[in-house]
Amino acid sequence: MRHLANWSILGLTLLFLIGPFVIIILAGTSAGNNLAFPPEGMSMKWYLKVFTIESFRTSFALSMALAVFGTLAALVMGIPAAYALNRYDLPGAETVRTIVAAPIIVPGIIIGLALLRYMVVPLDVTVTMALFMAHTALVLPYAVRVVSSSMQNLRVDMEEAAVLLGCSRMQAFTKVVLPNIRSGVLAAFILGFVTSFNQVPVSLFLSGPGVRTLPIDMLAYMEITFDPSIAALSALLAFMSLAIVFIAERLLGFSKYV
Amino acid sequence: MFRNTREGLALALPAAIFSTLLFILPVGILLSEAFRQGGSWSVQGYIDFFASPLNRTVFLRTLKLGVLVAGSAAIIGYAAAFCIVNLSPKARGRVFGMVVLPLMISPVARTYAWIVILGRTGIVNEAITGLGLSDTPIRLLFTETAVYLGLLQLFLPLMIISLVSAMENIPRDVIPAARVLGASWFAVFFKVILPLTKEGLVIGGTLVFTGALTAYITPAILGGSKVLMLETLLYQRVNVSNDFVSAGVIAMILIVMSFTANLLLKRIATTRS
Amino acid sequence: MSDAFVELKNLTLSYDNSVAVPALDLAINEGELITLLGPSGCGKTTTMRAIAGLLSPTSGIIHIDGRDVTRVPANKRGIGLVFQSYALFPHLNAFENVAFGLRLQKLPDADIRSRTAEGLETVGLAGFDKRRPSEMSGGQQQRLALARSLVMRPKVLLLDEPLSNLDARLRLEMRTELQRVQKETGVTMVFVTHDQAEALALADRIVLMKAGRIEQLGTPAELYSRPRTAFAADFMGFENIFHTSGDTLVSSFGRLPVGYTAPSALLAWRPDAVTVGTGPHTGTITASSFAGGHREYVLQTPLGPLRADAPIAVAQVPIGQQISFDLPHQNARALAE
Repeated sequence: MRHLANWSILGLTLLFLIGPFVIIILAGTSAGNNLAFPPEGMSMKWYLKVFTIESFRTSFALSMALAVFGTLAALVMGIPAAYALNRYDLPGAETVRTIVAAPIIVPGIIIGLALLRYMVVPLDVTVTMALFMAHTALVLPYAVRVVSSSMQNLRVDMEEAAVLLGCSRMQAFTKVVLPNIRSGVLAAFILGFVTSFNQVPVSLFLSGPGVRTLPIDMLAYMEITFDPSIAALSALLAFMSLAIVFIAERLLGFSKYV
Repeated sequence: MFRNTREGLALALPAAIFSTLLFILPVGILLSEAFRQGGSWSVQGYIDFFASPLNRTVFLRTLKLGVLVAGSAAIIGYAAAFCIVNLSPKARGRVFGMVVLPLMISPVARTYAWIVILGRTGIVNEAITGLGLSDTPIRLLFTETAVYLGLLQLFLPLMIISLVSAMENIPRDVIPAARVLGASWFAVFFKVILPLTKEGLVIGGTLVFTGALTAYITPAILGGSKVLMLETLLYQRVNVSNDFVSAGVIAMILIVMSFTANLLLKRIATTRS
Repeated sequence: MSDAFVELKNLTLSYDNSVAVPALDLAINEGELITLLGPSGCGKTTTMRAIAGLLSPTSGIIHIDGRDVTRVPANKRGIGLVFQSYALFPHLNAFENVAFGLRLQKLPDADIRSRTAEGLETVGLAGFDKRRPSEMSGGQQQRLALARSLVMRPKVLLLDEPLSNLDARLRLEMRTELQRVQKETGVTMVFVTHDQAEALALADRIVLMKAGRIEQLGTPAELYSRPRTAFAADFMGFENIFHTSGDTLVSSFGRLPVGYTAPSALLAWRPDAVTVGTGPHTGTITASSFAGGHREYVLQTPLGPLRADAPIAVAQVPIGQQISFDLPHQNARALAE
């Protein structure tokens, strides 16, 4: 009896959370020209059409590049910061932590607007550059947090042992610390990538001629047409995320870092 | 080992400086601008903002939806988290994975699904007209209900995750012990589970409430200009009327609301014990 | 220059501006196994970290093998350290853990292989090459950590409470193992511990430390039978220590005339040096426990609780009963204040 109640609560919750994806996947297979469910016949034409839309291709490339390079840049700054926050008794550690975490707390739309007004316009920074920096700032808190948590389990005396065996401090980091936080770094990369790729509010104001991230481009497209191609594209993106998370989970038990 | 402060700062500063330049500084200027009027400090921007009935409606709607979404997420979250914790470890991992999964998927895609469900030719309307309950489709999109559903679906996983990890920390035998001592399930929840998971509730509640306040896509797609929330209003003010003072005011309100919610929840959690 | 192998001169060590070890002088001979013994916070680990180069001294000099290494960085000192936690590298297998330092020296592959194999064999881990540290028992991890340091052929091998994470049986086994390895390799060892039994069993000489200073330095036999101070006596198992005043013993509980004139300000007796069953004084038994070859009593006396061991041949006296006892002066150890 209890068992049944448990599973029906879970079933309904999961239906609410995951059901909509099943619906868009199917809506994208419609043979008709209108968005409808159940779909008017079956075809793959919308799935194929997505690939022929030029603006989707360029915005996908931009989002991909932002996600990859923004996250890498965040890791380049975030790993040393995480190391310093864990290993040194810094006087301003709390301040540093708060500053680095700030982009999580403040609404993204405000970050985008502020960058547009006080960087892009007055300093003549290109929109692409601003996007890159905004996405880096946005991913930085995740990079620091996830890398920190994987570094916490690593004993300090391991580095001391490495030094006594002849390592320089830098070698101790690359030969002992880095290999042992590898899965944390990878998890931070994936979390950062997904966050950046799906990010909308920050990018909302940061768009120029021919420079749009994919989610913004999808929003713009939806304002013009309501055909099933957006459903197909959404489904494809969902599959991409699924694949990434699935591989990550298989490789390193990703969900413990979320 | 010799770890001097200068070395530590050198490692931590690039990230801190980057965040300051890219984030603290611009956002700070934006917020302070809402306090400027003709070259001097003033709160006129705030007075003007709240003088407008539309702005007041939007503010109250945002607050209301935020509270409703966070409250609903808490209720569903407790039920779901309790069920998840009681699963076998293997099943627990799988179900937990399915709860986390939606977070990895683009919010545009997640919100778009509701158009398919609630649109004029969507599932609900097809069902209604198909069953002959109504001849014409009912308007379901661009309503508060649509925004509510969209936001709840978007942020429920955050609540469930917080509550599951809080519940995993409840010592194994506490609940059976309470039952043996004669507590009803009602009492078990309010006297045992709730006090022991309140930190998870505070974290989850803050995440969901703040998320609902600051979501853009969901109110934009499912609410449109008929059901404006603060974020969509901010976008409109900037894009349509170039009104940066209002934008600064709204930004400040959003930040203050998030912080207040967090403080309030923490307060409630500490006074109950 | 003396001919000591390791020499600490006027060494002052501090943490966060508070002095942990003020002006320490210590000379260690080549091939010696020396123990730094003392309660936690006595500065023994701090001293060891300074020798290793993990802590730079506020002032003073460290000489090793005739060379001033005070400013030589830890990775260039040629000193081995076996950590309390072992600090093994979890991402490397046993072989690679041991080969780690050799690889850094860019030795030829064949040398690395033979020296690593030899190192693993010395500690009895031949054939464990492919195991990860996480797949090894506590004792095996301990041996691996030892091998990792030994293959570097360190001038000095430091061991930081290396046996404290092992169970009692393994601890005894590793004790003999350490002695064997030390005799085999002839390496100079500095062994840090808070366990006096361990120090007594292992050391050539014991350095007993208290609050950053050397309280007493000597062979185990010296420290065991002739502690000089109350602190040393207490650490070496003299559980009954009393002040003296003429022919009277004095404690915070009261006084007891003993009929002989005390030769020093303090007198101490081990429990087995107290006579029970006969004697001029009486006390009440408040605790009694069987300890194999003898029985341990706690007596309530005018001096407060007194610990006394009675041979098993003496009939057991129940708790609450009175018993006569003596604190014979020929069994007493005279201590300085």
